[in-house]
Amino acid sequence: MFKESSEKSLKNFLILPSVLVLLCFLFVFFYGVYLSFTDLKLGKPTVNFAGLKNYIYLWKNPLFWKSTKLTIYFTLVAVFVQAFLGILLAKLFSTKVFFAKIFRPIILLPLVLPPMSVALMWTTMMNPERGVLNYFLGLLGIESFMWISQYSTAMLSVIFIDVWTYTPFFTLIIYAGLLGVNQEMKEAAQEAGAGAWTTFWKIELPFMMPYVLIAAVFRIIESFNQFDIFIGTTGGGPAKATTVYSIYAYIQSFQNLNFGRGTAILFVNWWLVLIGALITIKLYQIARKRVS
Amino acid sequence: MKFNFNLKNLSLNLLVLIAAFIIIFPIFWIFLMSLKSSAQVMEWPPIFIFEPTLDNYKVLFDISEAGTSNYGTIRINFFEPILNSVIISGGAVLVSLIIGIPAGYILARSNFKFKEDIGFFILGFRFAPLILVIIPMFYFFTKLGIKDTYFGMIWVYQVITLPMIIWLTRVYVEDIPIELEEAAFVDGASVLQVIYKIILPLLRPGLVGASLLVFLLAWHNFALGLLLASKKAPVTVALLKLLNPGINFYPVMACGLVISMIVPILLIFLGQKHFVKGLTFGAVK
Repeated sequence: MFKESSEKSLKNFLILPSVLVLLCFLFVFFYGVYLSFTDLKLGKPTVNFAGLKNYIYLWKNPLFWKSTKLTIYFTLVAVFVQAFLGILLAKLFSTKVFFAKIFRPIILLPLVLPPMSVALMWTTMMNPERGVLNYFLGLLGIESFMWISQYSTAMLSVIFIDVWTYTPFFTLIIYAGLLGVNQEMKEAAQEAGAGAWTTFWKIELPFMMPYVLIAAVFRIIESFNQFDIFIGTTGGGPAKATTVYSIYAYIQSFQNLNFGRGTAILFVNWWLVLIGALITIKLYQIARKRVS
Repeated sequence: MKFNFNLKNLSLNLLVLIAAFIIIFPIFWIFLMSLKSSAQVMEWPPIFIFEPTLDNYKVLFDISEAGTSNYGTIRINFFEPILNSVIISGGAVLVSLIIGIPAGYILARSNFKFKEDIGFFILGFRFAPLILVIIPMFYFFTKLGIKDTYFGMIWVYQVITLPMIIWLTRVYVEDIPIELEEAAFVDGASVLQVIYKIILPLLRPGLVGASLLVFLLAWHNFALGLLLASKKAPVTVALLKLLNPGINFYPVMACGLVISMIVPILLIFLGQKHFVKGLTFGAVK
């Protein structure tokens, strides 16, 4: 009897190695938060507690506010466009037409490629002089432009790349949700005289919404932290047109070697991520209540 | 009415084709580019039909003889970053499997204080801003002297791989009926015996899929390698360096891109089913 109970409690310790490894990361995270309140500079021998100095510096710095706007703008536009196109693609590929069945597996493709490879791939295609995109624009009779190499279009070009990469994420999840839409419900609605459009608005879309919002939570978190695609395309330029938080923190930490400021930027970013995710989760709960 | 139906069918097919083209063309274009000479890549308008060459791949792997390439003295040995990526990603997945499977099993089957809190803590890592961890990590790695080592890299990659393995194991174990294990416990088997002899064989298909997916996510990573490694840097970091020489070097970079993309494409052929489940942490089944 004793042996059995001791083994039972003992077995719970099997979780310990994993928890310890993850606790290390939690510690590193909090250490990062602590660093944001110090004046740590690489190569400087002493580290002093600096209170809110880094945050006050950021508050007074126009580049920080510009970066804030760019980060929020990038996340909101990219996630909205992805959700919209994701719904369209999911609807399109769930139709029973011939090519939809054949090409369904390729929706996955952009998602499985390394984001850095995707970024470099588009960098070559967006080249102002030799890029194939300008060639296509030419065929359509549109004048070529500079894509990522010009202040006014750089951010939109990066958003375009992000949309190409992550729209399939929405599509996959919404597609799984669409499979659950009750066919009978749809038919009943149509028999009651509702057109295809009304059926979509009144039945399918509300049913899809929880799935759209789940996908949005993931995408909001990752978009706020997007780093690879910016480094692989613009590196934050031209003239800081795409200096989002992650790039700004990278420059502060590893070019100016000011780790305190770098971590301070990322800690602010962390709060924005948290707020964005919580709002979306709240919306998700509302959307689910409406369906059930 | 019949005509109307056909028109709708036709336009839907056309839309699917356009979408498929937008997805496939960039990848196809990069593949073409990897077979072009540096003169061909400079041509305007871009050419689609040309005599393909494998020279760029030779340059990438540094097996062309000195002076035979058009790229002068640039030396790249792409074997190294590929090997680094395989060792780091593969090693990270292996370590995660060893310590993560028992943890996932316990979370699924055991009841103890704080169990749900620990589960939530682990899930939270899916939402952790990786890059906020990197800066202090850089500081620690420098102090501990484990910068640019496989040991350090495999350890830090646990932040990507371990939570996924634990959580997916938990989801999979919960789908297995508990009776089998109870019978084994009555026969006097220990917990580890049950995990390795009974649970693991049942989990194998799911775990293989999960491991492929997690390997893929590790393969994707760029930021950790950029800041915490140099000689042991992964493929993604090596690729960025190929961008610097300019347009006439694009074909060689394209070769690197093709290689970095082929690996995940092969992997999803093997583990497609588990992809959605894994990407959303089992939120969508």
